[in-house]
Amino acid sequence: MRLPDFVRTTTFRWTSIAIALCILLFSAFVYWEAGSSMRADMDASIAEASQAIASDVPERRVIAIEDRLAADPRRTRLAGLFTADGKRIAGNLRDIPPQLAIDARIHATQVVRIDPRKPESMSVRAIGRRLPDGQVLVIARHSGELKELAAAIGRALLLGLPVAGALSLAIGGVLSLRVQRRVDELHAQVRRIIDADLRERLPTANLDHPFDKLAIIANGMLDEIEVLVTEMAGTGNEIAHDLRTPLTRVRVGLERGRANATTVADLQAVADRAIAGVDEVLTIITSLLRIQEIEHYGDRRGFGDVVLAGLLHEACDLYEPIAEDKQVSLRVDVDDDAIVRCDRDLLQEAVINLVDNAVKFTPPHGCVRLALVRGPSDVIIRISDTGPGIGEDEREAVLRRFYRSDKSRRTVGTGLGLSLVSAIVKLHGFRLTLSTGPGCVAEIACPLPER
Amino acid sequence: MTEFRQNGDVFRYATAGAHLIVSSDQTVPEILQMTKILLIEDDSETAEELVAELTQRGFEVEHAASGIEGLDKARFIKPDLMIVDRMLPGMDGLTIVEALRHDQIRTPVLILSALGAVDDRVRGLRMGGDDYLTKPFAIVELVARIEALLRRPIETRETMLRVGPLELDLIERTARRGEREIELLPREFRLLEYMMQRNEQLLTRAMLLEEVWNYKFVPDTNLVDVHMGRLRHKVDTPGDPPMIHNVRGAGFILRAPS
Repeated sequence: MRLPDFVRTTTFRWTSIAIALCILLFSAFVYWEAGSSMRADMDASIAEASQAIASDVPERRVIAIEDRLAADPRRTRLAGLFTADGKRIAGNLRDIPPQLAIDARIHATQVVRIDPRKPESMSVRAIGRRLPDGQVLVIARHSGELKELAAAIGRALLLGLPVAGALSLAIGGVLSLRVQRRVDELHAQVRRIIDADLRERLPTANLDHPFDKLAIIANGMLDEIEVLVTEMAGTGNEIAHDLRTPLTRVRVGLERGRANATTVADLQAVADRAIAGVDEVLTIITSLLRIQEIEHYGDRRGFGDVVLAGLLHEACDLYEPIAEDKQVSLRVDVDDDAIVRCDRDLLQEAVINLVDNAVKFTPPHGCVRLALVRGPSDVIIRISDTGPGIGEDEREAVLRRFYRSDKSRRTVGTGLGLSLVSAIVKLHGFRLTLSTGPGCVAEIACPLPER
Repeated sequence: MTEFRQNGDVFRYATAGAHLIVSSDQTVPEILQMTKILLIEDDSETAEELVAELTQRGFEVEHAASGIEGLDKARFIKPDLMIVDRMLPGMDGLTIVEALRHDQIRTPVLILSALGAVDDRVRGLRMGGDDYLTKPFAIVELVARIEALLRRPIETRETMLRVGPLELDLIERTARRGEREIELLPREFRLLEYMMQRNEQLLTRAMLLEEVWNYKFVPDTNLVDVHMGRLRHKVDTPGDPPMIHNVRGAGFILRAPS
């Protein structure tokens, strides 16, 4: 027969062992507690009897002993009165027990009882005392009762352990089965996700249950993976397409040039166009590799404290002539001395890409503004323009590789700028948001270092 | 701008390994003739093309196909400059540079790599005065950087730069051409200063972005042309013989009028 799955789990095994140990320890404790209280009772009655008999007048001692022994249906009481040289005067003890210390406290020892049938050696708790007239009084009590208690507890264990075991197994089994069912469910669902559908999610019900917490975490992870996979599937096609377009142009140009060029100058012109086309392809490949490099950079050794205002002024300085040529005004409004921990070169690259985009998409007589906005725990680099802006439906998409808004199909560029910015911002743990003011508003929120 | 585009050189294609290289047939200036260059590159095809190209330009080129051989040759022939591929079999090219620096050998190095330059070791390289070039690259870019490494500007206490009629006062932050005062924006001043320290030397767009603006990756390299256009407009006014020359497909040269 095959054991159910949960029996083979480590949790189940350890729990079983723990329950068995608990029952054993508990029984031992009961035995020890009951035993010591029983012994205390016994000792009290021995002490009382010995005191009573010892304080009697010598003549009444024998009678007192016989009374005591007579009123003993369970035959557990023992007593003896001996002469100073050890001869028995009364009682049911054959002699003064050799191991018994006289005038000591009550303790365990061996005695021999005179019995109508035959003398019997037994374990007792006893006290011996020498009386003022030299006689020796021994009062004892058979300690077999303690043994009986142990036996009773042993029997109870023998009967109870299997019952308790069975009960705990049953409860454990039910609980384990429930957990097992949940695990099987999750497992089946995960299998389904692996095999076919990345859009499936793990079921969640109760927010406090650890399994649900786990499922929520796993679902979050799946969301991220789904985005990446979709992006990748799209990217493959888009890379191929974006590379094929300039390459086709280069190829056609070369073919026609080879056939038609008649002078060196013609051929040179053809070659120049081909070089330009190939450079375009190389730029795309370099940008792709660069994004990948940043995504896998993961190293924060190059991080330092950077004054953001300086960064923005430099970006503006670099783009001002181009903006001027386009009749776009480029302004920096910064009077904030915020310092942020970042890789200066990379953050600069991100800002420049955003400025490049803004200048590119702003029509003549428009305006591009760079600003720093202080939030409660962060500082926001805001780059806003008066261009067409990005539609609500396109905001997610523009961060994807190669996405180019239809509005911008005719503008130059690799379509990789924003995914590069996104990769850099992610590396820093900053946040990038794109929204629409009148034009496009790009914001990078940088948490300020704690003081 | 078209007038400068016409004094272009002869271009031709040469394939080296997987990297497409575009070159311009220009020999290096006389002072750099017979400069010894050690090329450490394991890919034989790339190496062959580079050796041929550099030899043709007047350099004396020695080739080593492995890191160990390269290290031996570097110590033995004492080159004036080394070109080191970063991905050598069983070795990072940077290790060779570090080994040489450890031995107090200060030969300038140009590292070639298929990797980008996010790496801290690469940043260190630039700070140490060496250079780094990502494959694939144009031959003109390689040659311009070799020249730049070989002709590192001499550290001077000179506060006045002069090229032909052009004068730049680094203290007063003023510029003049002959008698004419030139009004420059700070960024234009920086650009002109850099070019005057390296006159007669081809400066590519990438080099200018890196050195003048400190940017390694800029989405639009056309930026440099716009800045240069502004500067040229101020330096070379109509009637003056031009000093800032556009080398087609390569970059810019500042040259005193002959």
